[in-house]
Amino acid sequence: MEDNPHLSPSESLQLISEMIHSVKKRYSENGFLYLLWGWVVFFCALAQFTLLHFFHSPYHSLVWLATWLVLIFQVFYLRKKIANSKVRVYSDAIIGYVWISFVVLMCLFTFQLSNLPEASRHVMFIPVLLALYGLPVFLCGVILRFRPLIFGGIACWLLSVLAVLIPYDYQILLIALSMLLAWIGPGYILKEKFEEENAH
Amino acid sequence: MTEKMFKDLDPILHSQLRLAIISLLVGVQEAEFNFIKEKTNATAGNLSVQIQKLKDAGYIQVNKKFKDNYPLTTCRITRTGINAFETYVKALQGYLHVSTRP
Repeated sequence: MEDNPHLSPSESLQLISEMIHSVKKRYSENGFLYLLWGWVVFFCALAQFTLLHFFHSPYHSLVWLATWLVLIFQVFYLRKKIANSKVRVYSDAIIGYVWISFVVLMCLFTFQLSNLPEASRHVMFIPVLLALYGLPVFLCGVILRFRPLIFGGIACWLLSVLAVLIPYDYQILLIALSMLLAWIGPGYILKEKFEEENAH
Repeated sequence: MTEKMFKDLDPILHSQLRLAIISLLVGVQEAEFNFIKEKTNATAGNLSVQIQKLKDAGYIQVNKKFKDNYPLTTCRITRTGINAFETYVKALQGYLHVSTRP
């Protein structure tokens, strides 16, 4: 491209449009983290349900320690991804803040819940968790203009209502189901779209 | 359409490569030099010169750092650059409106 100062208005507008379009990738996310978190939480929920429902183990909650390992891996993965990316887009930053807000809300919610009696804690925990969880999933869908995530977020909210009506151990199964609907399903679709877009 | 009609267009932006750079940066938070080079198909030398002109006008912010012992230049558009770009686009639309009027 030369430094041509004799552009006509239509040529200028065409150039602007081409440049804006060239950075506007519809699917900049390969779905890897969605699938990783989706499957880890899915199997943790199934493991907790098995330990609690079939073995009545008092240590059923310990399975969630696996998520800390994923969290550590995610920190390194994202650092490497950011370091290797040649361009930073606003939507990535906004999505980052959405998830930070979710983590802050989760910490506040867990702190508030710790002041309640254990019975109330068990009744409340998963319904509120699913309700909160629907928010970042729904917003990510809106920001990325990706309908499967929007539906996934709505599914979390519906499961949150359902969770109030069933016993605690079955509520855990709803966490696994929410993963299938909110992350694993959309994650595979996102992966496919990303591969399609990058193949051209 | 005469040269005189373009006199109100910002001369900093009314150049193919500088306009391409600003148009790229307006849609992203930050972009590396090599990314801009790849998208505009410009030579490194020409791109450096135009980036410097945009920087001098206050339209973009240029950060130079090192990544794996190699120099890394990143650019981002400033508020002044966004305003200039918006004014430029409005002016273009005005010219097009005038030229298409019967």
